[in-house]
Amino acid sequence: MNMRTTNKQNKSQFIAVDSIAAELGAVMEVAKEISLAAANAKAIAFRAREKAKGFQPITDFINELAKETLELVNDINENSLLLYQLTVNEYRTADAYRKLEQAAQMAEGAAHGKSIQARVEAAKIKMQASRGQFRWHVSQLLNQLEAVMRPARAARVIAANSRIEASQAGEYMQSLQAVAESVDNAAQIIHDNVQRCRSVLSIIVIAE
Amino acid sequence: MKMTKIYEGSYQWIAYGRDQNKPDNIIDTNQYVVRAANRCLILDPGGVELFAPMLAAVLNHVPVEQITDLFASHQDPDVISSLGLWDQALPKAKLHAPALWEGFLRHYGCDTIEYVPIPDKGGVINLDSVELQIIPAHYLHSSANFHVYDPHAKILMSGDVGAALEAPGAPMFVDKFDAHVEKMRYFHQRWMPSNQAKRAWIERVRNLEIDMLAPQHGRIFKGDDVKRFLDWFEALPVGVAI
Ligand SMILES: [Fe+2]
Ligand SMILES: [Fe+2]
Repeated sequence: MNMRTTNKQNKSQFIAVDSIAAELGAVMEVAKEISLAAANAKAIAFRAREKAKGFQPITDFINELAKETLELVNDINENSLLLYQLTVNEYRTADAYRKLEQAAQMAEGAAHGKSIQARVEAAKIKMQASRGQFRWHVSQLLNQLEAVMRPARAARVIAANSRIEASQAGEYMQSLQAVAESVDNAAQIIHDNVQRCRSVLSIIVIAE
Repeated sequence: MKMTKIYEGSYQWIAYGRDQNKPDNIIDTNQYVVRAANRCLILDPGGVELFAPMLAAVLNHVPVEQITDLFASHQDPDVISSLGLWDQALPKAKLHAPALWEGFLRHYGCDTIEYVPIPDKGGVINLDSVELQIIPAHYLHSSANFHVYDPHAKILMSGDVGAALEAPGAPMFVDKFDAHVEKMRYFHQRWMPSNQAKRAWIERVRNLEIDMLAPQHGRIFKGDDVKRFLDWFEALPVGVAI
């Protein structure tokens, strides 16, 4: 592989890992909004009593989904921090390999020029190992992101059910519908953010 | 990279500098190597940009497995920003550097190289049968700063002290001291913060027998020019930007 592309590759990797961290941060915020919406819905449903009977279990469910999302994203965040370290590691090993190769070239003809060869090889192996590690963690992360999509999808289905329940809640209809609306929006945002993370990650893996 | 043997006995001192391929916008540096029987020490190995040419140049004198020790007089990038690369190239080497800067220097990457912290009072580096003294030079200019003195070869590697800002390709040795002074004045007045530290250092160094004073930038002082430099430095007020 051409070493200049390695460097570019590293740069885009840094940016990708950074943007994933940003997307995940946004997902956390939105998941927190969902649990707020759930708490809000619960209060309304409590006041509406009989009129919002079907709504009460839904609010619990929404809350569960928000919690699950937060937990999953927490795990992912840890993994993405590790991914950042692995990116640094890969950058360092790739850079060292490139510079050692340069030194080996420059030392052609030097009395002890050949002694560097083993180090160049070792640096290459190290670089490949850290690249392998990086890729493995990317695939881990992709799986975890897939898992986050599930509660987000479920939340959308629940939002649709909530709308139906809300329509039977008389004077509480509007506020419950607003809750359903915000859950739906939030789930949509999470879904989109996670989707973006996944495509960023897939690009890194494909680019290698 | 220009290579100059500055001491030849049962072991050697070699100066490396004036790298023609160095980018114009980074300061030119001198690197020194002490080559003993089976081990070799690089003093102030230099910046990232210099790593490959410096390593290649050293391979003219020693095989890579004999590069066992590095020394950093202080934490500046022109001194040791190449650390992360040496760390990958010399997994079993030691870095002798100020204890005070350990947490800072590790930012460059120091996972495989052993960091040997130098306490404020200095110490020694043993290189096979060669014993080198680590002389405190704090606040000249860095708050934890050391020079390396070889009592046998009578060489003092003096880091940024004695440094001069030179045109590319300048000779390795001071020839006309009076003319050389102008290339040193600004550097010392502006980078060196403390007259008190300067006086303490001069007093310490005047007790050493020195044939060569070898700075990290500019030219090496030989013979009487060493004394001339100490006198000139003593009279120069430093820390002028306040
Ligand atoms: Fe410096
Ligand atoms: Fe310097």
